[in-house]
Amino acid sequence: MNVQEQSQGASARQSIVGKVLGEAILVVVVGALVALAANRISPRGLSLARDYFREANAAVPPSPTQATTNVSTASTATNEAAPSETESAIARLKAKGLQVVDFDEVKKLLHDPGYQTGSIIFIDARGDEYPAGHIPGAYQLDYYHPDKYLLTVLPACQNASRIVVYCTGGDCQDSEMTALMLRDGGVPNEKLFVYSGGMTEWDDKKEPIETGARNSGQMLPTNK
Amino acid sequence: MSAGAANKFLDVSSVLARWFLGGVFVYMGMSKALRPEEFLKLVHQYQLTDSAFVLNFIAAALPWFEVICGLLLVAGFAVRGTALLLVLMLVPFTIVVLRRALAIHTLQSIPLCAVKFDCGCGNGEEWICRKVAENCGLILLAVWLLAGRGKQFCLRYQLLR
Repeated sequence: MNVQEQSQGASARQSIVGKVLGEAILVVVVGALVALAANRISPRGLSLARDYFREANAAVPPSPTQATTNVSTASTATNEAAPSETESAIARLKAKGLQVVDFDEVKKLLHDPGYQTGSIIFIDARGDEYPAGHIPGAYQLDYYHPDKYLLTVLPACQNASRIVVYCTGGDCQDSEMTALMLRDGGVPNEKLFVYSGGMTEWDDKKEPIETGARNSGQMLPTNK
Repeated sequence: MSAGAANKFLDVSSVLARWFLGGVFVYMGMSKALRPEEFLKLVHQYQLTDSAFVLNFIAAALPWFEVICGLLLVAGFAVRGTALLLVLMLVPFTIVVLRRALAIHTLQSIPLCAVKFDCGCGNGEEWICRKVAENCGLILLAVWLLAGRGKQFCLRYQLLR
């Protein structure tokens, strides 16, 4: 191969590399625009401007008057074992100044006369999972798409004296972020409680579960 | 096998590889795009950035971008440029997943291949060794296409002429 042929080969390779890079840049630009448009159109799309984890990152020292339940007290028991998921969640909630309720407390609240009058309300912070099953009478407030729920939920919060917020449970943080969002929105902290066990524990304990819309009356069969 | 038959076999395999890779990206992208908030939480866990805008941008745009790249490959449009992008997405992502798996492996003192978590790949919780092996396979397929294979049945193999 002579010098001229080598030079032509190198030039052709450069040309191919340039074209591939050009294509990639074009796909990135057009693809990003189309992707953003798809996100905008999608009913599940995210807002680019909102700081979804602002509430989660903002720690507020707990006030000494804040109530805790037997579960949260149990979590402070001294042992050398690593904290469980529930214990970690409770510690995290308390660090943010939120009150925690356990399963027994939630069950009591559900049978309290205040539940019938709207003085005790439940808020489900999950999204698509809500229709498949929620605590009976719970309002839905999807933390990631709150706009369409706030008009219903905020007046209910104003009338309530105890608001129990829950999500899936375990490492799910949507309930605490929803509670903090409500607190930032003017709902007094004294009213707000987070049920850290969440829907998973509620389901495990075979408690009544309502399906469909709020107060639909459709209940899942329980095997109690 | 004659040279012609071997070439034919390579050509067919390359087209199938392109369709397979495209299909995988469409599937993975759609599973994230339909539940972007779950993907947002997973990206947040990786602690890649402190900027809420960047985090939201990644979670909102990346799933759809994966779908677009997958469709381009299936259709055979700008194949090499798209394959390059897949390599550029898969390599850093695999490194990030591996780093997180190593952190869990060290923290919990469990074998690396016993580490299982939802890496944000669109399939829920996965064994990380298997996921890394899968990603390496996808990277090899993308490099194969980047090298100029899979030209048959393309709408427009080369966008810039």
